[in-house]
Amino acid sequence: MAELNKDMFVIRGKDTVRMESISRPSLSFWSDAWRRLRKNKSAFFAMCLVLLYTLLAIFAPMFSQYTQSQMDANARHALFSAAHWLGTDSTGRDLWVRIWMGARVSLSIGLISAILNMCVGAVIGGLCGYYGGKLDMIVMRIVDLLYGIPSLIITILVMMVLGKGIAPLIVAMCVVGWIGTCRFVRGEVYRLKEQEFVMAAKVMGIPDFIIIIRHIIPNIMGMLVTNLCMAIPGAIFQEAFLSYIGLGIVPPDCSWGVICKEGIQFLRYYPHEVLIPAFFVCTTMLALNLLGNGLRDAVDPKLRGTD
Amino acid sequence: MLKYVLKRVVAAVLTILVLITIVFFLVRLMPGEPFTSAKLTPEVAENMRSYYGFDKPMIVQYLQYMGNLLQGDFGYSMKYTNRTVNDIIGETFPFSADLGIRALVMAVSIGLILGIVSARNRGKKIDFFCVIVAVLGTSIPDFIMGAVLQYTFGIKWGLFPVARYEGIEYTILPACALAFYTLASVSRIMRASMLEVTSQDYIKTARSKGVSDLRITMKHQIRNAIMPVMTVMGPTVASVLTGTFVIESIFAIPGMGKYYVESVSNNDYSMVLGMTVFYGIFLVTCNLVVDILYGVADPRVRIGKR
Amino acid sequence: MKKKVLAVLLTAAMTATLAAGCGVPGGGGSDDGGSGDGSGEKVFRYSTRTEPTTLDPTKGNCIPDNEIQHALTEGLVRNTGGEVEPGIAEEWEVSEDGLTYTFHLREDAKWSDGEPITANDYVYSWQRLLNPETAAPYAFIGEYIKNGLAVEKGEMDPSELGVVAEDDQTLVVTLEHPTEYFLSLIGSSGQFAPLRQDVVEEYGTDFAADAEKNVYSGPYVLTSSENQQWIFEPNEEYWNRDAINLDRVELTYVQNQDTALAMYESGDLDYSELPSASVQNYEDTAEVFRNGNVDYFYYNLDCGNPAMANTNFRLALNYALNRNEYNTLVNNDLFVPSTGLAFSGLADNGSTWGENSTLEGYPLDGDEEAAKEYLDTALSELGMSDPSEITVTITTTDNESAKKQAEVVQEMWTKALGINVQIEQITYAEVLTRHSTGDFEIAWGGWGSDYDDAYSYLELFKSDSAYNYSNYANAEVDELLNASQNETDAAKRSEMLHQAEQIIIDEAAFLPQAEREVYYLMDEDVTGVEFFHCAVNIDWVYADITE
Repeated sequence: MAELNKDMFVIRGKDTVRMESISRPSLSFWSDAWRRLRKNKSAFFAMCLVLLYTLLAIFAPMFSQYTQSQMDANARHALFSAAHWLGTDSTGRDLWVRIWMGARVSLSIGLISAILNMCVGAVIGGLCGYYGGKLDMIVMRIVDLLYGIPSLIITILVMMVLGKGIAPLIVAMCVVGWIGTCRFVRGEVYRLKEQEFVMAAKVMGIPDFIIIIRHIIPNIMGMLVTNLCMAIPGAIFQEAFLSYIGLGIVPPDCSWGVICKEGIQFLRYYPHEVLIPAFFVCTTMLALNLLGNGLRDAVDPKLRGTD
Repeated sequence: MLKYVLKRVVAAVLTILVLITIVFFLVRLMPGEPFTSAKLTPEVAENMRSYYGFDKPMIVQYLQYMGNLLQGDFGYSMKYTNRTVNDIIGETFPFSADLGIRALVMAVSIGLILGIVSARNRGKKIDFFCVIVAVLGTSIPDFIMGAVLQYTFGIKWGLFPVARYEGIEYTILPACALAFYTLASVSRIMRASMLEVTSQDYIKTARSKGVSDLRITMKHQIRNAIMPVMTVMGPTVASVLTGTFVIESIFAIPGMGKYYVESVSNNDYSMVLGMTVFYGIFLVTCNLVVDILYGVADPRVRIGKR
Repeated sequence: MKKKVLAVLLTAAMTATLAAGCGVPGGGGSDDGGSGDGSGEKVFRYSTRTEPTTLDPTKGNCIPDNEIQHALTEGLVRNTGGEVEPGIAEEWEVSEDGLTYTFHLREDAKWSDGEPITANDYVYSWQRLLNPETAAPYAFIGEYIKNGLAVEKGEMDPSELGVVAEDDQTLVVTLEHPTEYFLSLIGSSGQFAPLRQDVVEEYGTDFAADAEKNVYSGPYVLTSSENQQWIFEPNEEYWNRDAINLDRVELTYVQNQDTALAMYESGDLDYSELPSASVQNYEDTAEVFRNGNVDYFYYNLDCGNPAMANTNFRLALNYALNRNEYNTLVNNDLFVPSTGLAFSGLADNGSTWGENSTLEGYPLDGDEEAAKEYLDTALSELGMSDPSEITVTITTTDNESAKKQAEVVQEMWTKALGINVQIEQITYAEVLTRHSTGDFEIAWGGWGSDYDDAYSYLELFKSDSAYNYSNYANAEVDELLNASQNETDAAKRSEMLHQAEQIIIDEAAFLPQAEREVYYLMDEDVTGVEFFHCAVNIDWVYADITE
């Protein structure tokens, strides 16, 4: 190669315009997560499915000639037809309408109670895990207590005070529901706070508050989001169990759990009456799980900027 | 370490005592009465109340109950009138526990394997497959799962006995039905936790030192990833071993689950209390064991404690 | 460290599995093939959906309890499918006024431990039933005996009860009212079984806690009551041992009907009830009996809702219900729609209640026109203009079929009348409590009788009855029912009861729905099983297995 000399270089000076511009869009935590979620095909598909179900739950019953409680003694146990897209149940009620009316109840109960449970559980569990000591001791004893009391008793009592319906049901489910997340978050935080990066932060004199926000939460976010997606099915089932013992949804309202319960006795002869609601429950759960896994990967700080 | 354990045990005993007290008064707050036959006359109801000491002040009843409890006596059931709660628990718990242990062994071993395999193959087809298996477990209500298993394997194909518990082969279907949910949650937590661990520095170190993938998984990942699974095992063990209402009902297993649910809806006070105390002790013990194991398995926790 | 954890886990798992394997008994020992397996043993295996609550005959309080006692104990007489035959009493005389029964006991009657059965065993048992200290849930069934109620309330000593042993073989019973069905009642109610004082007192509160802590007077003895399975074997000391054909009976508690059916199909049971969804698939083999239960909704006339107190409104409700369609929707067309109060199969003046009935009930297909007319009248009486101003609440249990009943009724009433109908689901125990506290507007309910007589049903609407959940009061009905209790002429008595039923129906004091039917499958080798519509539904005492 030829020798280099000064003549070969030109001084361009400062480019004051481009100096301050950012060549790549800044990636905030969430936009990065969103970007990665979109790339995950199964998670993206799952999200679309959940959205589709939500839309159907909102709009499908509006455009049907039937209502969820309209019975027809001449069309009992009907199979799929133009009149009844998903057939009918043992009292001749249209399953298409019932499924989506049930979806309204099931999805909203699942979502609301799962989010409530997660928030309460994560905050309490996080505090316990991080500070430990007396607070931890007391809360853990309360948790043990709540776990020990048959949840049925608590539910019955809450429903007695608040009455029946969807809102009291959610409250009743939350009274014990937060415990799972709490124990889980506490365990995780307990483990994390002994780890090197937290210790390092502490040594550097960073306040607890910032440590929690900057270091602990992002590290458990993945697990939390997964947990949230898993908690929705849990809540939907709990509602089904409560409806099963008569403490849940009151007719004429219904939920997926209720429809499954109504159909199970006809499993042998009219399997569609249980398999159809079960299919929707399953696919919703599957979608939520895939979405959960996708979200988990998407928000994991250690995977940021990869792939 | 000993001090740590002792402290936990004392706390556990106190928890149980408070638990009994709370439940004792809570059940009496519930609507309805324990003496409910469709043909109950006021005279009979009166006699039954005084027979069970309900005419005495609540606090006297409470002290009496605690006194008996200290001698390990849960009292007579109010529904199954000539049987003691001890007797019923003693007869039914072995069935539930037996079934529960089988289910648990199945669930944990398969769940862990699924979780590990799925994490090692993240994003591949096999991962997708494992996730679906895990999802099916949590997404099918147990009454459907039980009924479908019974119908297909028991009735249609006649591979297994349909119901009751009269030998090992009888336990397979109900144990499977029972295991599914736990299996799914174990595999999911394991997968998430494995992935968490994978990005840790010590794994990277090991990898950069040229340690084989399999060896990394076996030696470093699993041990660290298993901690969150252990956290959920306490309550899971307690609830699986004390029986489940639905599965036991479908397979006609003479276990505890039915009495636990029924006692609440029957307002069978002594049974609710007995079951609660039994379950409470069981649960607290399980959590205690988990906490201690935590200390054993993760030296950082143990040191941090000191 | 990792190895340690793994080792601990593995060892725990393995020991647990092993320990569990041998820790649990191998079940009740029904390992042989049961009936017709060629071993020559005659075994009858069946299941119950409701777990029996007690093995103490005095404390029995449901049909499964009573069915067990029917096999284990021998009353003075034995009621088999409605036929009363001599039991421990060889013969008896009834006084002219129908109030005094003198029973002559057989001398060869023995307990399962060989001791003789004497009249004192009955005196002790009946006194124990009514003694307040026993707190027997079904004590009221002894109120027929003179001073029964007073003893039950603790106002009289149990020794003053109208039952006296004149000697070891003679028992004299005095009744409160001439009770036509008394023999039928004591022949099918375990509460009237004899008891051995020495045995009861030996075990105290543990009496009959399991199979060993008891002695048996009946055709069978209990050999095991473990693991929700009850095993019966013939009582070798039974006076009529030759009439007993079976070698063993196994009763298993199977709560889930589909499971019971599956067990029947796989040969684990010889008798099983059919879930209503399955009946149509067994049309050729299914048999049916009626268990005397009638489904109602009780109206609470006193609940504070002015509509419920209005007769025309209640009539509107009753006319708006299309009972045929209801039966299709709720019961899969299986039960018998009913517009009356008493079960139609009851014995009544030499015939059945249904055959003697002249009841003018509601049309089975409902009558929307009539319903609307009644509703309009009711609205003007209540000072309302629009049916939607009225809201009624149906209180029902957590049970699936109870829920369906409520849903169908809700739908029909809403559609036909335009009123608002709400459903409240609570536990069965709470519904029963609410019946007696009166904290309901319309409540799920129904009735099955302990004895073969319509009075049991009509009593529900007698103003001073403990079971009058409707708070219905009609002087004419009370008068008819009171008179019927002292009437010894069966024809006149029957007429009074039918008259009372008509009044209750005319005033729409409740909502009759359907009479229940039980469909079942029975192994064709089994013969001689009797069914009865009260107290004992299935009676296999004289059953046999033919090859």
